[in-house]
Formats: sequence, C-alpha cells, structure tokens
Amino acid sequence: MKVLETAHDRALDAALIAAHEAGDHAALVTLYTRAADRACDLNTACFQLTQAYVFALECDDARAPGLRARLVAHGRETP
Amino acid sequence: MHRSDLHAVRRPIASANGLPNGHYTDPALFDEERHAVLFDNWAGLGVGADVREVGDAVPVTFLGMPLLMIRDRSGDVRVFQNICRHRGMILVDAPRKIEGAIRCPYHSWCYSTEGKLVSTPHVGGPGQNTHEGIDRALLGLIEVRSHIWMDIVWINVSGTAAPFEQANADLLARWSEFDKPLHHGGADSRFALEVNCNWKLAVENYCESYHLPWVHPGLNTYSRLEDHYHIEAAGLYSGQGTLVYRQLKGEDDQTFPDFEGLSDKWDTAAEYITAYPNVLLGVHRDHTFAIILRPEALDKTVEHVHIYYAHSATDADLRARNTAQWKEVFEEDIFVVEGMQRGRHASGFDGGRFSPAMDGPTHLFHAWVASQLERHRDVPLAAE
Repeated sequence: MKVLETAHDRALDAALIAAHEAGDHAALVTLYTRAADRACDLNTACFQLTQAYVFALECDDARAPGLRARLVAHGRETP
Repeated sequence: MHRSDLHAVRRPIASANGLPNGHYTDPALFDEERHAVLFDNWAGLGVGADVREVGDAVPVTFLGMPLLMIRDRSGDVRVFQNICRHRGMILVDAPRKIEGAIRCPYHSWCYSTEGKLVSTPHVGGPGQNTHEGIDRALLGLIEVRSHIWMDIVWINVSGTAAPFEQANADLLARWSEFDKPLHHGGADSRFALEVNCNWKLAVENYCESYHLPWVHPGLNTYSRLEDHYHIEAAGLYSGQGTLVYRQLKGEDDQTFPDFEGLSDKWDTAAEYITAYPNVLLGVHRDHTFAIILRPEALDKTVEHVHIYYAHSATDADLRARNTAQWKEVFEEDIFVVEGMQRGRHASGFDGGRFSPAMDGPTHLFHAWVASQLERHRDVPLAAE
C-alpha cells in the first residue's frame, strides 16, 4: 500500500485519526472516500473504499450503496 | 460427576423431601441444572421494553452465555449469541442503538439486525472483501430461539423444547383474558434486586402463600391467608391466587384503568404464578408484573422486576406508589431466600419436608426440576 506522503495526505491522515478518536462515523466515511479518490493505485483505492463502506454500513449512511457499487465494479465485493 | 438422588423429591407431597443441598451449593449440579432446567426449557431473558425502538440492542449474559437482545428493522425482537462468527469477539458490550449494521469492533465484520453477515472487509486481502472460503450465507449470527408473551422475551437455548404456545398452552389459556397489549410503566416501573441465593429459592418462596402472614404482615389487614388459593398445574406451573385484591387508590380515589374485557372473577381476584423455570408473574385487573430471575452464580440471583398497565398513559404518582409497594413486598422476602441459601450448607439437612396442606405449589416446582434433571440424565452422553 502506498504510504501517505504529501502535506495534503498528512492532513488527511490526521483528520482520519481525529475522526476515529471522536467516533465520528460520518466523517470517517467522507475522509476514507477522499483517501480512495486520491489513491494512486486500485488496491489502495479499494482498501480505502472498504473502510468508508464499513463505516457507512454501521451508521446507515446514505452513501453506503454507492460505495458498495464501486467495490462491486472492481470485483472487490459480492454483486 | 456426582449425581444427586432425586427419588425423595418425586414422592407424594406428604412424604416428599425437597431437592438435596447440592442443588444449592454444588457447582457441578448448578451446571447440570443450567442445561437441563434453564437451557432445555423456555426461560425468561428480558422484556420487549428493554429494546423499545428499532435498532435498540442490549447485551445480556445469561448463565455465562453472552447474548444480544435486539429489535430488528422489522420491529421484531430477536436474540443472538453476542459473538462474531470470525474470532468469537463480543459484538456489543453495552446497551446502545444500532443505526445500520452491527460492526464487530475487532476486524469489522458487519451483521444486519436480522443477523445476516453483510460485510467481511479485507477478508480476501487488503481491499478484497470476499474469499471463496468464506460463505457469508453460512456465517450469520447464531440466533437463539425466542418468543414474546406478556412482553417477556423467552428463550430456549437448546432449541429442543416444544413450541412456546404448546409448552405453555395451559397457562396461556388460563390467562387468555390478559393476552392483550401490556404497557410497561417506564423507568419508574422497573427495578432490580440482587439476592444472595440460588435462583430456585426465589421461585420456591414465590409459589406459596403460607409465608404471607409471617413475612408480609402488612398484607394481613385485607388479604388473609384463608383468602388465598393454590394454583397447581403439575409439570407446568404453580403459584397462588387471592380472592380479595384491592386496587391502589390515589388521593382523590382515582385508580389505574382496568384491562378491557375481563370477566367478573378479576374484580377481586389476582394470581401469582411461576412460569417454570424462572419467571414470576402476577396479574390483577389493573396491572401485571413480571420478575425475571437471572442466575448470576450458584448463590447469586438478580430479580428484574417490570410492571405493566392497561394504558400507556397512567398517573405517575400512582405508578410510583405501586412500584414502591411491590418493591417493599419483594424486599421483605430477601432475608428468607438468603436465609434458606445459608441453611443449605447444613450438611445434615435432607431437603426439608413440605406442609401437605400449604406447600403444594412449591413441591410441584421441586418435582418439576427433578423431572427435568432425570430427563436430562436419561439422554445418552454421546447424544448430549
């Protein structure tokens, strides 16, 4: 997995840690989706999408079906 | 394992003895009863009011087994083993609302409120959420057979009991007039009492009216011993009834509303029955209650008390008085059940004798427990 490197990435990393500490699921969905969108390779993107999807599932976030669809499209989730 | 001699328990009441001491003091016999008496039958676990809204989830440890009561998306109460099918991690460790899925805090496998395994993140490697070796359809939460009656969540852990309506057909028929919506009085109508005794002693005391004039002298003023009758359904349930129930009245003589459609009998009658094994029930024209006995250890039990009314909106002050009144009565019983528990360490005690005239309902409970143990002992070990 590609390590987060840029200033933007470091800021995102810090925001993710803060969201985890706060138990802010909606923010986790947003931040992991953002990390997926910035990923340089498919595996990293799908890792981040999975993280976003799980937290969306847990809090019944409306973004869950869309995240799932992206994983399915990449063959990473059951259709 | 030492097997107690239950022969004397099953004799007719006039010559019977109670269950031997070991059934109150021996961890091996406690474990035997756990399976034979409490897991093989329909035991009370909690109440529907514990999980009032969709998504409400309450973890309950029942005889050491971690369970989860939850109200699913369809509004039905379900009971699951409170563990993830992955590594057996506890899923929910405190009462809370499940907004979407139940996410295991360990590796985040997710389950729907109906128990279906819906997500297995990274199970096939980072970002790969499926694997041919993991069939989600076979890995849902382990559901415990459950049934709701009188808002009580009854469970049959072994899954071997007859259907609830069949196993309790006689009691359901007896109290069919109360088979209608019961409204939990809310936070002021629930309390719990911790008692240092084996759970069966609470049942034994509840079943009979013999002790009332001595332990509850306050009841003598209007409810004398001779106003009570035995309720004896051998092998099913037992308890006592009174013919002189008097409604609680407020300062301006207001009362709780009656349940609709009750027959005249209930104008002054009330009944108190133990639904074997561990639920103590009471019904009156204007309220019911349930005491669910949760054994925490061989010699420790928590009595979870819930009071119900005919309507959802009742007078709060009157409700508080009713709760206080029952709490006082149930607390008066504590020294008795704890005293009997200490008494069971007297090595020469033979289980005691029963008053043939007054202890019939209690003897029926002893005999039923003995019958359940004998049934369990008759099962070949290989099949257990």
